[in-house]
Amino acid sequence: MNEHDAPVLDSLEELALTLAEVDADGALQETAAVAFPTTRFTFLKRSVGALAAGAAGLFAADGAAAVGQTKNDIQILRFDLVLEYLQAGLYTEAERLGALTPKTLDWARVVGAHERAHLVAIKGLLGRNTVPSPTFNYGNVTTNERAFIRTAVAFEDLTAALLKWQAPRLDSRGILAAALTLHSVETRHAAWIRHQVGLQPAADAFDKPASQQQMARLIASTRFVAARPRLAGRRRPRVTG
Amino acid sequence: MRRRAVVVALGLAAAVAFGVKAVQDAGGGAPAVDDSFATAVTELPGSARPAFRVGRPVLLDRRESRARFAPVLRSVEALAQPRPDSASVATIATETPEGTTNIVLILRAVSRQDGTWVHVRLPVLPNERTGWVPRSALGGYQFVHTQLIVERKRLTATLLRDGRPVFSARVGIGQPHWPTPAGEFYIRDKVSGFGDPFYGPVAFGTSARSAVLTDWPGGGFVGIHGTNEPELIPGRVSHGCIRMRNADILRLARLMPVGTPLTIR
Amino acid sequence: MAAARAQPTSTRRALIGRGVGAGAALAVGGTALLGWRASAAAPAPSATLDQQIFNFALLLEYLQAAFYSEAVDAGALRGEIRSFAEVVADHERQHVAFLEQALGAAAREKPTLDFGSATRNQREFLDAAVLLENTGVAAYNGQGANLTKKSLAAAAQIASVEGRHAAWISDLAGRSPAPRAADPGATAAEVEATLRSTGFIKSS
Repeated sequence: MNEHDAPVLDSLEELALTLAEVDADGALQETAAVAFPTTRFTFLKRSVGALAAGAAGLFAADGAAAVGQTKNDIQILRFDLVLEYLQAGLYTEAERLGALTPKTLDWARVVGAHERAHLVAIKGLLGRNTVPSPTFNYGNVTTNERAFIRTAVAFEDLTAALLKWQAPRLDSRGILAAALTLHSVETRHAAWIRHQVGLQPAADAFDKPASQQQMARLIASTRFVAARPRLAGRRRPRVTG
Repeated sequence: MRRRAVVVALGLAAAVAFGVKAVQDAGGGAPAVDDSFATAVTELPGSARPAFRVGRPVLLDRRESRARFAPVLRSVEALAQPRPDSASVATIATETPEGTTNIVLILRAVSRQDGTWVHVRLPVLPNERTGWVPRSALGGYQFVHTQLIVERKRLTATLLRDGRPVFSARVGIGQPHWPTPAGEFYIRDKVSGFGDPFYGPVAFGTSARSAVLTDWPGGGFVGIHGTNEPELIPGRVSHGCIRMRNADILRLARLMPVGTPLTIR
Repeated sequence: MAAARAQPTSTRRALIGRGVGAGAALAVGGTALLGWRASAAAPAPSATLDQQIFNFALLLEYLQAAFYSEAVDAGALRGEIRSFAEVVADHERQHVAFLEQALGAAAREKPTLDFGSATRNQREFLDAAVLLENTGVAAYNGQGANLTKKSLAAAAQIASVEGRHAAWISDLAGRSPAPRAADPGATAAEVEATLRSTGFIKSS
């Protein structure tokens, strides 16, 4: 086992656990396994499957009864939360690095402010049923104009589509009512950005839904989800003293 | 349904009461009443109460002070210039001496034809060495808003968050022949539960190195840690490390994330 | 209802406002004490309620389709604003067709509309279009959770495009395409009041 393999395996397990927490039907697991092909692929699939089965039951028992949310709704909200972590992180990093054109930064600033507000709201609703943010590596997407625009357009379009897929699947009408208030803003984001970059803001009379599995594929294709660095440990400090 | 019946009943009652007036008004050119739409509206229920409300947009604070670090994904040569043919300054490993993920503090990044190069602070001697690495050798950026300032003359350590002090404590630093070096560094990792009271309950590794204890196991890194000799603090008492009383290091550990820039004056 | 039809508008509106507006307010701001009232105001979804909501939406779509079609024909719009009207007129016509088909014999009649100069003057057109699209978004957000799941899935496909329209025309009009982090739903009464304030609806 070389120096490179050991940390990768540990982090993949951690990544798998995070994804498993939000991924009841296995969609994210499949795409994650595809996105991170290693010699440990088979082991990962098996362990992730076990984690998912365990995680789904674990979190349901923990909080669903307490706040009156069904397992189904918690799973949907967690998926949305992970998506908001990703988008908020993308826009936040782009704004902080300030390497994009002023025109792009203008809408990135506003859209990012909305995504951060969404994140706070969904996290607040989940309460104890929340999940921590995955670690993200946005590579050069936050500093390269073309890559950033393509990514933003893809995510805004697909997030709006995802919310349409989730809406009739929600058990709670209150959560549905809230989700609709977010859905229309995502469609606004999508049309606004498209308009700013010269794409058709509203290509069709009817917008199709897209499943969590499709969104998981988009997320995997970006390779944004990264291993969590181990910044803390339990070994004796190797310092001069 | 009850409400609608009430409204209709009221409407009819009012119609009887105001019927005469209405006939007179109609002659005066009042706008035609949009009746079926209004009826449709009375039949519709109110909106379901949203399970959560989204607050105001969350703008970034433009005055936020921040530094940026990233984990090292693969062992890589840090070069003197952002060019593949440039001389090597140091090899950067993927792990710290404590077995945690190695991180580097990022000073800036430039886009070149062959990709993005990142200028990073290196945990090597001589102290404050910097070098360039390809962006692809590093993981995702993480931002911190804190800065730790250690003043050697005054024997204090102060933590700033967005430029404002949020923590201060007296410290012990290196004895004169094992000086704590001055310069710009960063917090590299945090360890706890290691069961050695000499270092207290928590210890931080930094990128600073002792210039004299170069043979020290692990390379002679300067750490920030607790102590089992609190009576020595403040003072010039250590091999170069920055020591704090245990209550202080525990407080600092709650406030200071790994990756925080460290200034030693 | 013939006698009621002759009633002065203001009295009838006041009655309706109190009846529906109050109920809606209780539904939106319902507390535990008034919980029973809140649930009465937001009853369980049903095919009948779907029809009522779809008819409500159909009025809005009739209005929009007619507005944009007339604006295109009037020829006063220039450049991308003209393109917007052409594209969106087609979308709204498709929305009308869908809702008419879904409702079948239960579909409401077409309203009698008068847009005045709003279709003949570009500045007025922009103001009206922004208002209509934003109202559409709020209307769908207000009623969406009252629909059965099947109807919701269909309505969401339409509401999504209304959101795009709203951002697009706002950008063209120099207004914020997404002024808030979330778009609150409007009650039926609020939507009715907004539409009435345009003066476009002569009778329905």
